This record gives sequence, C-alpha cells and structure tokens, in this order.
Amino acid sequence: MTDDDTSDSVVIERVFPAPPESIWRLWTEPEHFAAWYGPSGASVRVITMDVRVGGRRLLHMEVMTPNGAMQMWFAGEYREVVENQRLVYTDFMADENGNTLSPELTGMPEGHPTTTEVRVELKNIEGSTRLVLTHVGIPAGSPGAVGWAMALDKLEALVAGGDEA
Amino acid sequence: MDGVAVALADDRLDETFAALANSTRRAILARLVAGEASVNELAKPFQLSLPAISKHLKVLERAGLIVRGQRAQYRPCTLDAAPLHEVSRWAEQYRPIWEDRFDRMDTYLQQLQHTETGTDHDR
Repeated sequence: MTDDDTSDSVVIERVFPAPPESIWRLWTEPEHFAAWYGPSGASVRVITMDVRVGGRRLLHMEVMTPNGAMQMWFAGEYREVVENQRLVYTDFMADENGNTLSPELTGMPEGHPTTTEVRVELKNIEGSTRLVLTHVGIPAGSPGAVGWAMALDKLEALVAGGDEA
Repeated sequence: MDGVAVALADDRLDETFAALANSTRRAILARLVAGEASVNELAKPFQLSLPAISKHLKVLERAGLIVRGQRAQYRPCTLDAAPLHEVSRWAEQYRPIWEDRFDRMDTYLQQLQHTETGTDHDR
C-alpha cells in the first residue's frame, strides 16, 4: 500500500498550466464545466449549479448508444466552497428533478455506494495549479456517510498495523 | 457515466458495502483485528443480545469479512481483510474516468487560453 492509500477513495493529482482562479471557473461556471466534464461521446448540460454551501447541483447527460440516446441525470449538494481553493460536493444518479434514484432503478442493490463525494483542492504553484481530487464512495442509506469513510480508513489502518504485529 | 461504471463492479462488493454500512459491524471488525474472539466476547462491549450479535456476524460472514471456526461449542470469529482490499479496487474504477476528464480539461484550458490571448476579455 502507498502512503496515500485509503480504502474507499481514489486520489488523483494533476498540475494544470493555469492559476487556481482559472481552474476554479472550470469547476464552478456551468458553460465551462459542461465543456470538459462528460465522457467522450456524451453531451453534458448543467441544469443547476448553485455553488455555495448547501447549494444544489444537477447535470443532464446524454450518451449515444447503439439503442439510441441514453438519458441520465446526476445531482448533489455543495458541502464546502472556498473560492479558488477547495470545493466539496456530493454526486448521485437522479431523475430530471434531482431526486435520488432508488438503488433498484440504478441497477445497484441496497448497500452499494450510490452517493459519492468529490473533493477538489487547488494549490497555486508558481502560476500553475496543483489539483488534488479525492472521490469517496458512500454507501446508500448510511447516516453520517463521510464518517463511514473515515471509519473505514481507520479500520484499514488497524488491519495494516495488525499485519506487522 | 460514473453510475454505469460503478454498476459494472463485482456483485460481491454490494455485500461488502452493505456489511460495512453499520457501526456495530465495523466495531466488531475492529475488535477482530486484535485477534479471534467468541460470540460472547464480541457481545460484551455492546448492549445487544447474543441473537442480535449473531445476526451481525452472519452478515459479516456472508460478505466474507469474517470466518467462523468449525468447533461445535466454540466457534471463534476471525477477520478476513480481503474484501476490504476489493473495496479499494472498487474506488479505483473512478481513476480512469477522472484521468479522462482531466485530459479534456487540459485541452479545454488550452482552447480558452488561445481565445483569451486573441481578445481582451473572454466573455
């Protein structure tokens, strides 16, 4: 295991040749976000992007498949907003009104992390931006979901410690 | 596309996540890190009946997170950390999705910069 390894999250670091102010706009302004977010072959439309703590987000995604266009909506809530520095939001599959879909509808049985949390941290490094993205899985129906993530980290640390003993 | 990618995950993970989405079961696992324990020993820290603890143990066993001994009277529980590592792999499915997005973000950023050098204001 690497030092940064956490059991239930993926951490990706990338340096972009632009200051944090520019990168922040790519994440928080609808037309910019829609321009890069979607997978290739999909078109993304931002329906709601209320970037403030407790503000909602809703994306429409259309993916072309051999059986025609597939419509999807992803919704969530902004949890932390520190301009040009830190953005935290939840993400889950939703209907067109932003209501979360039941696990059966998304094809994922109960207990699966249908909600995830995305953390974006920006740091200015001589005019460029180091972006650290953390994507954490949260089990459906679990209260204190982020607490769950931390608890699991602790458990993994214990397991690792137990191996040495 | 996250949901689609996640849906492709191993079914086994569903049980692991369901098993872990409970604080009592996580506490049981944390206790088992210290070594094997009987149902009675596991029940002690919790204000729960033995049948209630047994129910939690069954969930953990089904998820492959613990192994029960075979001795009839004393069936000690031991931790099996393998499914936890599968959880880690589940999260890793997001990596290529984000790498792909960052590539597009990089390209888009360059397009914007070209546009901005051509005009005083970008909007």
